[in-house]
Amino acid sequence: MRVLTVDDSRTILAMLEHTLKDAGFEVLQAMDGQQGLDVLAQGNVDVVITDINMPVMNGIEFIKNVRAKGEHQSLPILILTTETSQEKRDQGRAAGGTGWIVKPFDPAKLVSVINRVVH
Amino acid sequence: MSELDEFKATYFDECSELLAELEEQFIAIQEGDHDSDRLNAVFRAIHSIKGGAGAFGFDKLVEFAHSFETMLDFVRDGRVEMSEEVISLCIRSNDLVADFVAAARDGVDLAPDFGAEELAAFKMHAGEDDDEPMEDFDIEFTPVMVQVTDESIVSEAKDDEELPDSFDSAPFQESVPETGEHWHIKLIPFSRLYERANDPLLLFRELPSLGDVQIKATLVDVPLLVDFDPFGVYCTWEITLTSDKASEEDIREVFEFVEGDCELLVERRSVPVEADLVGFAEEKDAEQALEPGEPAELLSQIADLAAEDDKGDETPQSSSDEENVVSFADLAAQIEPTPAPVVQSSAPGKETSSPSPAAQSPAPGKKSGSAPAKSTAIQTIRVDLEKVDRVVNMVGELVITQSMLTQQMDDRLRAQYQELVRGVEVLAQTTRGLQDAVMAIRAQPVKSVFSRMPRLVRELNAKTGKKIRLEMVGEHTEIDKTIIEQLSDPLTHMIRNSADHGVEQPEDRVAAGKSEEGVIQLSAEQAGGNIVIAVEDDGAGINRERVLKLAREKGIVTPDQQLSDEQIDELVFAPGFSTASAVSDISGRGVGMDVVISNIKKIGGSVHVRSSPGKGTRMQLRLPLTLAVLDVMLVEVAGVPYVIPLSSIVETLQCRRAEFGQGPSGRQVLQVRGEYVHVIDLATRFEMKTDVEAHERFVVLCEADGNTKVALMVDQIIGQQQVVIKSLEENFQRIDGIAGGTILGDGNVALIVDVQGLKSPTEQKSAA
Repeated sequence: MRVLTVDDSRTILAMLEHTLKDAGFEVLQAMDGQQGLDVLAQGNVDVVITDINMPVMNGIEFIKNVRAKGEHQSLPILILTTETSQEKRDQGRAAGGTGWIVKPFDPAKLVSVINRVVH
Repeated sequence: MSELDEFKATYFDECSELLAELEEQFIAIQEGDHDSDRLNAVFRAIHSIKGGAGAFGFDKLVEFAHSFETMLDFVRDGRVEMSEEVISLCIRSNDLVADFVAAARDGVDLAPDFGAEELAAFKMHAGEDDDEPMEDFDIEFTPVMVQVTDESIVSEAKDDEELPDSFDSAPFQESVPETGEHWHIKLIPFSRLYERANDPLLLFRELPSLGDVQIKATLVDVPLLVDFDPFGVYCTWEITLTSDKASEEDIREVFEFVEGDCELLVERRSVPVEADLVGFAEEKDAEQALEPGEPAELLSQIADLAAEDDKGDETPQSSSDEENVVSFADLAAQIEPTPAPVVQSSAPGKETSSPSPAAQSPAPGKKSGSAPAKSTAIQTIRVDLEKVDRVVNMVGELVITQSMLTQQMDDRLRAQYQELVRGVEVLAQTTRGLQDAVMAIRAQPVKSVFSRMPRLVRELNAKTGKKIRLEMVGEHTEIDKTIIEQLSDPLTHMIRNSADHGVEQPEDRVAAGKSEEGVIQLSAEQAGGNIVIAVEDDGAGINRERVLKLAREKGIVTPDQQLSDEQIDELVFAPGFSTASAVSDISGRGVGMDVVISNIKKIGGSVHVRSSPGKGTRMQLRLPLTLAVLDVMLVEVAGVPYVIPLSSIVETLQCRRAEFGQGPSGRQVLQVRGEYVHVIDLATRFEMKTDVEAHERFVVLCEADGNTKVALMVDQIIGQQQVVIKSLEENFQRIDGIAGGTILGDGNVALIVDVQGLKSPTEQKSAA
């Protein structure tokens, strides 16, 4: 199972990587939406976890771009956000986000949420 | 280091980068560049700092960053104006964020009201924010091993094989326990649920953690495969959950991702579950409830269709088609255990027709297994400096071994083993290349230290009332990281000094016919094997009369000592020297410019100062490119090898051609092109006896402090080479006049002469 993590914070990327690797996932990383698209173009990714606030290409644009491509229409995308307010989350979902993870995340919860969207 | 500590280290590392970035952005904003990109970058940086802080439970930092961020958000969308006041609040707050970060890093408790003023200001601008409850940041990140017990969830490959078994497992058991509450859940998806890549099956999978589950699927108008819309709604579900712990909230949480994308009904039922299932059966006609035999029929129908039209599965849509079909087909199989054998009986069909749903059960895990592992998109990696240092050291050893090999190559060997010689030559070349490459890893642009200076100048402007502009040149010049770390203090001192003593007050500048605004130029460039960093101002220059007077008063210079202009200029670096008549807030802090010299010397560099009265002063640091490897000249004194850093050597000459004389204090001096230079005989200095005749010996003319030269007498000059510096302090103890040790190509140990240290003030006094 390959998880693409997209976040401009290395701390968050490192934490995700640690948690996900422990849970037996393979982890790919990108630091903005554009890099995320590049990674997706390279190969198989089973689930994406993306931040919203990022330079170059933000998470919303990233999700829209992913969904615009035929082959990724069924790719689960989780939005990683500190925003507990509904707004950001709704924007992400409107763009095609599958679900969300609230930062800071609880490792066990993170894995269960991923399992909620991935085969 | 625990994992958590490692994350923290990453976080603080990142914070210092973010803070530097913030600094840079705020400077640009202050200078009038209110580009929205800058604001966004600032916002993101604060946001990232907050995010990480939340993960580690740095509550005070989170609180402050959160309010800061909220205000920035208001500024970003124009609700708060980017006024001078707001900018200055931002810059101040940026410092406070840095303080909060530092406090978190060092585990220091700040005063409870630390930053209270700014917090109040944020709230004044952005109002009390209540849209993001703070308790959300209370969850601390504690890395744990996550044991995923339900293997069918994580491993898709296994899932395939174990699917039949899972029919018998708890979630689908036929007997419903008597205890617990019964929940009736009904889910009718909208097509946007699928468009967002959600899959009800996956959500149902989570329900068994709450209690016992029975799921009933109802197919609605399933079209032929050709008309099948991957996001179409062809199935609705009714679930009976029997649980003694689940609340409605728990159940709704499972479905939180699809809320709004489906019709979801969750109700508590007092009626036994069995009655419910009967109820479903009664609705069967209206909703075309699934008959035990139907899924099999349907599946074989689909398989047949697919077999007829093989091309169908090559269209771009096919993968999602299949997945969708599989989801419901799997599910259909799961609803009633009885059809399972039927599904299996259609296996022959699968083999001949690839699109058969059961066979096509997509296993992402498998897919990735067969795909070549692609590297991540990040183009840089972070490596512990210690690891790089290890590589640097080993490469250093390699260089030595290589030069040892080369040394062993005498003419006889060269003639006899040409192939071997060629090999060694290639080895030498590669080693050189390797060394350069390794050094480049540690090299960093000086920008990281330069970027701290604009702020300093800004502060100095505010304190002195002067108008000074800082110009930076060559920020991208690269230099060893360990050297960069040592540069901050000296540069700060030098710039303070220029601002305080160099650049004049605006009115004095105008009176002198200069522009009101003074300029300090900070530049870096590579010059040969050195990096030259200069701080140059267009101020009044060094007041030599005053400097000399002060130096005499303080006893740094004897009354009868005659000094050249250059020597007087260099006096500003003398220990305990400070020209400011009143100790100023800025540079006169008790420590003078001698700090600069001692710091720079420590890293093998030198300091020069040039001043033209009325025009300005240039202070220049000459630094080695790296600290690990040194280009040296190998000499011999009393039969013992010594090495002298090549960077400090001006020239060498034979004693028989040198002109010696007596200095005023009776010391031996060397006259070189009209200049008198103190002579230090290394044999005497290191208390050894040499048998070499005086006129057979050599003089190595070196540059010691700044512009002062010193002539070292040695017995013999052997040659030049590169050596790896080994610390004497670490392995033995500090020795005056020796900078370290090294191992030579032939395995012998040679001491590195500390040219500056040889001519230390104590040495001068004791010699005099």
